[in-house]
Amino acid sequence: MNGVVPTTVIVAGLVLAGYAGVMSARDRRMDVPLLIAVGVVEVIVLVLVGLVVAKLVGGAHPAEQATLIGYLIAMPIVPVAAASWGLLERTRWGPAVIAAAGLVTAVLVVRLHQIWPVIHV
Amino acid sequence: MSEPTAPSEPSASTEPVASPEPVASPGPVASPEPASSPPDSTRTGPGRLLIAVYALFALAATARAGVQIATKFHEAPVAYLLSAFAGLVYILATVTLANGSPLARRIAVVSCSVELVGVLAVGTWSLADPATFPDATVWSGYGSGYGFVPLVLPVFGLLWLRRLSKRA
Repeated sequence: MNGVVPTTVIVAGLVLAGYAGVMSARDRRMDVPLLIAVGVVEVIVLVLVGLVVAKLVGGAHPAEQATLIGYLIAMPIVPVAAASWGLLERTRWGPAVIAAAGLVTAVLVVRLHQIWPVIHV
Repeated sequence: MSEPTAPSEPSASTEPVASPEPVASPGPVASPEPASSPPDSTRTGPGRLLIAVYALFALAATARAGVQIATKFHEAPVAYLLSAFAGLVYILATVTLANGSPLARRIAVVSCSVELVGVLAVGTWSLADPATFPDATVWSGYGSGYGFVPLVLPVFGLLWLRRLSKRA
C-alpha cells in the first residue's frame, strides 16, 4: 500500500479540524457545509479501512491484529458519532466536537501506522 | 440565524458579565432557542465537547486494556490493570456527565478527582520505577502517549462542574 490514502486521511482530518475550529472560534453553529465536510472525511476513512481489510484478507497480518481490527472498527465510527452528537448542540460547541473528531481521525491513522508499518503515511 | 435576539437567552440576562467564556455572551449569532436546553445542563455547551472526549477515552482505554489483559497479561500486569481501572473511571465520568442529575454530578466530581490523582500518581510512578511498566498505560508519563489529554481532561471536567454548581 502506498502512502497516498493514509496521508489523505490525515490531511482531510486536519483540514476538517481547522475548518470546524474556525467555525467554533467565530461562534458559528453546525451547518450543511460542515456536515458535507464530515461526510467527505468519512468516505476517505472508509476507503482506507477497505484497503487495510483487503491486505488482511490477502494473508498479511500485524503482530497486534486484535488492536488493528479494533482501530478499523472505531475509525469510521468517530466522524459519524461526532456529527450526530454535535448536531444536538445548537451552539459553537457543535463544531468544536467536529474539530476534535478531525484531530482524532488524523491521530488514529498515525497509530495505525505504528501498529502496522506496512500502512505507510 | 444572525438576528440579535440574544436578550431572550436566560444565562445572558441573569449574569451579563459573570462568565469568562464568550459562549454565554450575547453574540450576533446567539441561538434564539436555548429554552429547550437549560444552560445549567452538564451536556450542553462546553460539556458537549467534554463528554465527546471522555467517551473516546472511555472506549480507547477500556478496549486497549481488554485486549492487553486477554492476550498478554503476564507481560505487564500492573500496567494493564491500571489501564483497565482508568478505563472504568472514564466510563463512569462519561456516563455521569451525560446524565447530569445532582447525584450524577457528585459522582462525576469524584471520578474526575480520582482521574487527576491517578494521572499524577501513575505518571510519577512510571517515571520513578520504569521496570513496573514495561508497557505503557493511559496515565504513564502523565499521559504523554495521548498528548497529555489525560492530564488536562479531569482539570477541565472539574472546572466545568464547578462552574455549573456556582451558576445553579
